[in-house]
Amino acid sequence: MSEAWARLKKHRAAVISAWVIIILTLIAILAPVIAPHPYDEQFLDQVLASPNARFWLGTDSLGRDMLSRLIYGARVSMAVAFFTAILSLLIGTVYGAASGWFGGWIDGAMMRFVDILDSIPSLVLLILVKVVFDSFSLISEPEWKSMTSMLLALSLVSWVTLARTVRGQVLQVKQMAFVEGARAAGSSSLRMVGIHILPNIMGPVIVLLTFQIPANILAESFMSFLGLGLQPPFASWGVLANDGWRTLRSFPHLMISPGVAIFTAMLAFNLLGDGLRDALDPQMRGRM
Amino acid sequence: MNGLLKVLRLAPWILFGACVLISFCGFNLNPIFIWLTLLSFVVELGLVAVKKGLVFYMLRRLGEALVTLWLIASLTFLLLRILPGGPFDEEKALPPDVKASIEAKYKLHDPLLKQYADYLKGIVTGDLGESYKYTGRNVADIITESVPDSVQLGIYSILVAYLIGIPFGVWAAARQGTWIDALLMTLAISGVAMPSFLIAPIFILIFCFGLGWFEPALWLGPAYYVLPTIVLGIRPAASIARLTRASVLEVIRSDFIRTAKAKGLEESKVLFKHVLRNSMIPVLSLTGPLVASVLTGSFVIEQIFAIPGSAKHLIQSVSNRDYPLILGMTLLFSALLVIANLITDLLISVIDPRVKMS
Amino acid sequence: MQKWFTLTLALTLLACTKKSLEYGLDIKDTIRINCQTEPPTMDWTKMHDTASHMVSINMMEGLTGIDYDNAELPATPKLATEWTTKDARVWTFTLRKGVKWSDGVEFTAQHVLDGFERLLNPKTGSTYSYLLFPIKNGEAYFKGEVKDFSQVGVKINDKGQIVIELVKPMSYFPYIMGHQATFPIRKDIIAKYGEDKWADAGRIATIGAYNLKIWDHDKNIVLERNDNYYGDKAKTKNILVYMINDYSTAVNLYHSGKLDFQEQLPSNEARGLKTDPGFKQRPMLGLYYYGFNVKKPPFDNAKVRQAFAYAIDRKQITDLLAGGQVPLNGFIPPGMFGHEADVGIHADPAKAAKLLDEAGFKDRSHFPRVTIGFNTDETHQRIAENVQAQLKKNLGVQVELANEEWKVYLNHLITDAPNIYRLGWIADYPDPDTFYSIFLSNSENNHSGWTNKTYDNLVAQGASELNKEKRRQIYLKAQKLLTEEELPMLPIYVQTYSSLISPRLKNFPNNPLERIELKGTTIQ
Repeated sequence: MSEAWARLKKHRAAVISAWVIIILTLIAILAPVIAPHPYDEQFLDQVLASPNARFWLGTDSLGRDMLSRLIYGARVSMAVAFFTAILSLLIGTVYGAASGWFGGWIDGAMMRFVDILDSIPSLVLLILVKVVFDSFSLISEPEWKSMTSMLLALSLVSWVTLARTVRGQVLQVKQMAFVEGARAAGSSSLRMVGIHILPNIMGPVIVLLTFQIPANILAESFMSFLGLGLQPPFASWGVLANDGWRTLRSFPHLMISPGVAIFTAMLAFNLLGDGLRDALDPQMRGRM
Repeated sequence: MNGLLKVLRLAPWILFGACVLISFCGFNLNPIFIWLTLLSFVVELGLVAVKKGLVFYMLRRLGEALVTLWLIASLTFLLLRILPGGPFDEEKALPPDVKASIEAKYKLHDPLLKQYADYLKGIVTGDLGESYKYTGRNVADIITESVPDSVQLGIYSILVAYLIGIPFGVWAAARQGTWIDALLMTLAISGVAMPSFLIAPIFILIFCFGLGWFEPALWLGPAYYVLPTIVLGIRPAASIARLTRASVLEVIRSDFIRTAKAKGLEESKVLFKHVLRNSMIPVLSLTGPLVASVLTGSFVIEQIFAIPGSAKHLIQSVSNRDYPLILGMTLLFSALLVIANLITDLLISVIDPRVKMS
Repeated sequence: MQKWFTLTLALTLLACTKKSLEYGLDIKDTIRINCQTEPPTMDWTKMHDTASHMVSINMMEGLTGIDYDNAELPATPKLATEWTTKDARVWTFTLRKGVKWSDGVEFTAQHVLDGFERLLNPKTGSTYSYLLFPIKNGEAYFKGEVKDFSQVGVKINDKGQIVIELVKPMSYFPYIMGHQATFPIRKDIIAKYGEDKWADAGRIATIGAYNLKIWDHDKNIVLERNDNYYGDKAKTKNILVYMINDYSTAVNLYHSGKLDFQEQLPSNEARGLKTDPGFKQRPMLGLYYYGFNVKKPPFDNAKVRQAFAYAIDRKQITDLLAGGQVPLNGFIPPGMFGHEADVGIHADPAKAAKLLDEAGFKDRSHFPRVTIGFNTDETHQRIAENVQAQLKKNLGVQVELANEEWKVYLNHLITDAPNIYRLGWIADYPDPDTFYSIFLSNSENNHSGWTNKTYDNLVAQGASELNKEKRRQIYLKAQKLLTEEELPMLPIYVQTYSSLISPRLKNFPNNPLERIELKGTTIQ
């Protein structure tokens, strides 16, 4: 473990990226403190203003301060990406572990289902899941409805690789246990999981999750592009970017700041992921 | 005779190259020509399969692919029955008996099983029903009219991705550790860090209105093809570059190459011949996910560049609750993906010397 | 070597034909417009979307049209040369002679009757069947109570004129004859090709200034000048219709010289294009309003509705959109007969707060949760957010926003409308009845649940009254009832549309009904 840490520290780009991510997370957490204005206050005499002394990044079509929107947007984007990663981790781990543990035809069927999911292009799945979920009135507040359906849709298209990795590990351990005859000891199955599976899995899983996050940020912005994005007051960078790209010529400031933010975050997570992968699991370099 | 055989083996690739070049120059491809190209590929694949004893494996994979498609069709069918909001709600309300007569026409009230059976029968016979929104148009016609442009865009983008990605990756690997390597890999990682709907307007601004080189939208000739292809191809190119570099480095480090070097072969020969062959395998296996990524990305590109492909039908059909079209589109895209995965598996089984009948 | 050469040549010849750009049309004689999306159909009895309509009005005509050069927008002769009535109940239309369909068949009065029959036939499934309900037995035929169409009040007299008998006097009836759903129909063509398939290039027969030459689905439509048109031939030979969905893409094409006209620019784009030489903005005969669901508290209380009306400054909204929209406090937009400048509730926050107190909500925390519903759209979003802010500021009430995808939203409107719901309405014809009829008790477009006998009577009276001044008084009463007392809805603004019109086009149509009839447009 410490050897991996040392390897990571040598990767300069990864270290810088880690710092960038830490800063972004701090911005997200401290948003109400750092933002100069509330994210929803409309300065109607300053609609679509270019960056100026008062509004450093300009204002949007409702006169809201872009800088504040960007800062609060960090919250939303990071939260969505993070929670989606956690959710897909949960789903993927449980599914993969179950599939590997039960083995036999159950494993076969479960993996077949996963193959099918893989064969549906992710955007198709995203759209269908989101629309179906949105039409159920389980949650009445529209912003939470859009948030939960977004989290659900995003995690449903990203849990598969995790499931496969976990299953692979579980199968390996099952083999080992079989050979060792440790199973004869009876109740230690859960312990086996803890002792053998988890440490082996941590590395690849951490790497996968780190790459998952920028993918989620991207997917969420695609959903905004399609008109299936988050509802106000949740304004992620994806929402902001979607508001701005069409009027790049007339109002470039609407697109540039969220664009840079997305770019920075995605770059940082990807570089960190590269570094983590080199440090934790050199065998994975051939894949990805 | 030997020369002729070599030509015949290369024939599919020559034909494919001709297809791409001719269509890129703005000509309409004769469908016979396309079928000829496909046929030559199938024949070539068949011959190689027989030679390597992989026929059974290929047939089995084909069967699996068909089963997958059937399962996807059923899944989508079920999912759609859950969607509320019929196809016929409009801003001006429809009188109830009119609505009822329309629903009767499209058999929306038949028992679920019968609808399912009709649906499956339709897929096999090629009759995917009529669109609800575009009255009188067959879903099959809508697909056949829109697919060519999408496939064209997709193939161009994938080719561009490989043509840029592989050389970049090899170059970076050959110059590992130098500033060239760092630069190329930074470019590559930047390529995956921006959503395409942000890259596209910037490129359009620079290359269409700034430099005046290309056209900002539509799909009518080379000046129209370039920008959408590049924007769509950036992300896959970046992935390919990164993977190629990693793969090449790994092969270089392997014993096999060390032995070859020890035998005294020139560095450049070693690199280009042996390393390339072996490092291409993981890169090829990327084709499946690559096609998926291109399919996904094409939604955005077709919308921004007004390319009359199939992607918009998927999105619009969902908002229109146009069930037959949604089903047809989902099947289409899934089929494309399944085929891509199938081809990848088959190609790998053919190329990889380690794969025998698994 | 020779073998290679011949092989390549053979391959190339086998492989290709050159693509023809823009269908080989002469751009100097082609107007290029964008209808935004593939028209679902060209069947004018059934069409109800703007894309189909935009193409169809250049291809097909009915008995009457509208004279856009006259500020009052009177009905103008088209396939009917004149019409007479004594009591606005029985109308006699004299048909134009010598008119031919595009396939050469002579236009007859029977074609008009066939069009009416098709519209009223329930099996056709048109959303506009109600347009002919004012005709005697029209509604009964639609409902199936009357099976024989000859019992419906439409006849051809021995002079070859069409005589229409209405149930009640209706002063604006000629306008109905200008709505495309009532246009003549060729039953023989429908019988030949089928209900759903007759309206395509090569099959459809039309009477208008242009013919449907090519319909390249999902790509383009080409209209070509009809040289057998009965009136002045169209000035420009071709119309090339694109189907570009995204506004910014269309604007790009406009700037790169491939598109001559783009309509309905969204507010951000419009704002950014104000200085563009081709930019044009004008108000339409269309409303944007927020309806109240009066069946659920708190909007079952008229005082609450009034309070909300006083709390919202419409001008703030239109300033925000900066799209030339005109704030509306009344119900009839300017430019239409029946518009009254002083009607309606103007913003007054103090009064608003007082009214809400009086309604029993002095303690604002007791105010129930209220949602503003709308379909997903950038403009609706911005307006809703602004209204939300205004209500918070002026009334101390926190409302929520709920946007849904169009189909889901419509479904909700019909089954259980949100407390406040957003809708728009564009005039079907230049007569106030088109707006007033929305809120009739039995109207299917009245999602508020508001029913009021006085209002119903006033509207019915107004529809039958022939005397202009009397009509005006009746409608004034109705407008006051609607926008000052009862308020089943809150008018927000008069819709405008912003468009880009290429400077190379001369005499481009300019009318508040957004009818893009291109026969008089030339290219310089």
